[in-house]
Amino acid sequence: MNPTTRLATVASQPERVGLGVMLALALGAVALGAKWVSGPGAAVVAALMLAAVIGLIWVAFVGGLETRRALAPYGLLKPGVLWLSLFFLAPLWSMVVMSLSSKQSRFDFFPSFSWEWDNYRTALTDFRPQFLRSFGYAAIATLLTILIGFPLAYVIAFRGGKYRNILLGLVVVPFFTSYLIRTLAWGNILADEGPVVSIFDNLGLTGVLESLNIMDNGKLLNTPAAVIGGLTYNFLPFMVLPIYVSLEKIDPRLVDAAMDLYSSASAAFRKIVVPLALPGIFAGSLLVFIPAAGDFVNAQFLGNPQTTMIGNSIQDQFLRQLNYPVASAMSFVLMFIITVAVLVYTKFMGTEDLA
Amino acid sequence: MAGKLNRRQFLIRSGVAGASALSLPALLAACGGDDGGSGGGGNSLFFENWPEYIDEETVALFAAASGVDFKYTDAYNDNNEYFAKVQPLLAKGKKIEPDIIAPTFWMAGRFVQLGWAQKLPVDKIPNMANLRDDLKGQPWDKAQEYNLPWQTGIAGIAYNMKATGRELKSVEDLFDPAFKGKIGMLTEMRDTMGLVLLGLGKNISQITTFDEAAAGFEKMEKAKNDGQIRAFTGNDYLDDLSAGNFAACVAWSGDVLQLAKDNPDVKFFIPEEGGTSWFDTMIWVKGSENGDAVAKWMDYVYDPVNAARITASVQYMSPVKGVQDELVKLGGEAAALAEDTLLFPDDATLARLQSWGALAEEEEAKFDEAFAAITGA
Repeated sequence: MNPTTRLATVASQPERVGLGVMLALALGAVALGAKWVSGPGAAVVAALMLAAVIGLIWVAFVGGLETRRALAPYGLLKPGVLWLSLFFLAPLWSMVVMSLSSKQSRFDFFPSFSWEWDNYRTALTDFRPQFLRSFGYAAIATLLTILIGFPLAYVIAFRGGKYRNILLGLVVVPFFTSYLIRTLAWGNILADEGPVVSIFDNLGLTGVLESLNIMDNGKLLNTPAAVIGGLTYNFLPFMVLPIYVSLEKIDPRLVDAAMDLYSSASAAFRKIVVPLALPGIFAGSLLVFIPAAGDFVNAQFLGNPQTTMIGNSIQDQFLRQLNYPVASAMSFVLMFIITVAVLVYTKFMGTEDLA
Repeated sequence: MAGKLNRRQFLIRSGVAGASALSLPALLAACGGDDGGSGGGGNSLFFENWPEYIDEETVALFAAASGVDFKYTDAYNDNNEYFAKVQPLLAKGKKIEPDIIAPTFWMAGRFVQLGWAQKLPVDKIPNMANLRDDLKGQPWDKAQEYNLPWQTGIAGIAYNMKATGRELKSVEDLFDPAFKGKIGMLTEMRDTMGLVLLGLGKNISQITTFDEAAAGFEKMEKAKNDGQIRAFTGNDYLDDLSAGNFAACVAWSGDVLQLAKDNPDVKFFIPEEGGTSWFDTMIWVKGSENGDAVAKWMDYVYDPVNAARITASVQYMSPVKGVQDELVKLGGEAAALAEDTLLFPDDATLARLQSWGALAEEEEAKFDEAFAAITGA
């Protein structure tokens, strides 16, 4: 078989060519990003990647319409695949390697790979309270955002009328301000001499709130309640918007039809509105829970030494202890737990059509 | 209120500046390679310092007087975090953007020991003779050729009279159950633990191993578990103190002097058991080629006239001899500062101050880890 016919054979299987080139490019991008190769090696890899692209274009050029049609999906996927390889897979790989490395000395900036599983033991045992706290706080904050966000989205979607867009805008507008500023502002609002505490004092509610563990020793700031409140506030729009989208799609005539068939208003709400809003609640709880579990700003500014979350610990390990291997292991454990939690949640709650 | 806004802004600014001003150009510089430094004769200078740590005039006055293309930023906000930011470049032998930084003494010692500081062009800094004698010859720089102190200060205790309802005088007051949940501590390990250890009667300048300090850490751990400590903070402790969230807290002398002007309830004292003294010190970062400009700057700020102007603004203890006389000459408010015992402590006060000795790498790691466990991180 001469080279031309061999190429023609290859070109006659365009799906394989497309898939092969895409995977080769992904591998090349990871190799470059994670620094498997460097210097001249990197140039060679880059050249090979370029050659693969040129080869692909050539195949598409000589292959005719059918070939091009078969190659098109892979072509469209390639920018995304390359992006994810370079900016997600490669860093992830570096993190895995780092999490299994050990340092020669404290200021050793180039920890060496040594299958140091002990880093994971440290992450899981020394930082168990912070992990538990993070997931606990994030779960409570998620529930609270549902409780606050659902009625809000409901009113905007069904009773908003012509003010709908304005109301929706009002939900979003505060979040044009920096996250940090808003969190710091809560510090002032919840301060001991601040407005909220003095209202509670005047209403004589302090004792009740203390017995509910919301206030502690007459203070609201620097308590678990303040941290959870901060998380709830900061992530509320991520719950309101998806719920709004799924509520807005509901045809109001469905409720009318139910009422015509002698359904009570509450039964219509339970059996029609809530099930149809579930995709929104589902998407919203993922959007709230995942970043809330990794958050460290709220615990930093609204919490106390006993409310630190895993994000604070990871930051401390990275920036203060300079313990990159353990910090990487902690990050990886966090990612792993969240992934498993989301998969389980999807299994039980999951819907086919995410909002 | 204006003060609060300023600190808010500064937090944001330092975040943004930290990300962009520092790392991005540094990374670009690292990629771009040579940016045209002309040997020792470079006539530009970049000093990255702590926030609110200079008066408003000196930067422009120096630039005009020396002809140096001078850039001054205040993105140095935390010793450990700054170290973590610059380590990736310096560890690879690349240079960072600033020519001069002013880490706290122990961090400066770390830079020197890692070989990340250059020997200063001492011959070209005649005013270096004005350096206060007690600051000379640190264990990590016995010949005084790597560092030149910027400002010095005292870590003591500040309290809000309205919240405490009584005068405080001892470290033990921080552990008074009456102030449960109203006590603030600094995230700067040496300042916080230094006071606690002094309260236990330890001599912190002699401490070299973690075991010698373990009792202090146990005391802190217990206080944290009892809910005595409200929060560990950096520069932002002033807000909490002023607002009455902290009844009392570990604090830096100069900050509180500035705050007390607006809020007379806020008071600062050196505990009867003693306080810690510290200094932030200028070092010339490895890789910088602007030695001449570095010398001009250091010589300029070690002229007592210029140093007095800075002192009048930042209200920390100056490391420069002769500042007290210059303040008197300035008259008015500045002259009043010359009388302040926190700026110019008498011998009896000085005798009550101690500073940390050098900690070996492994021991320092133990201190930092134990302290992180207490701060909850």
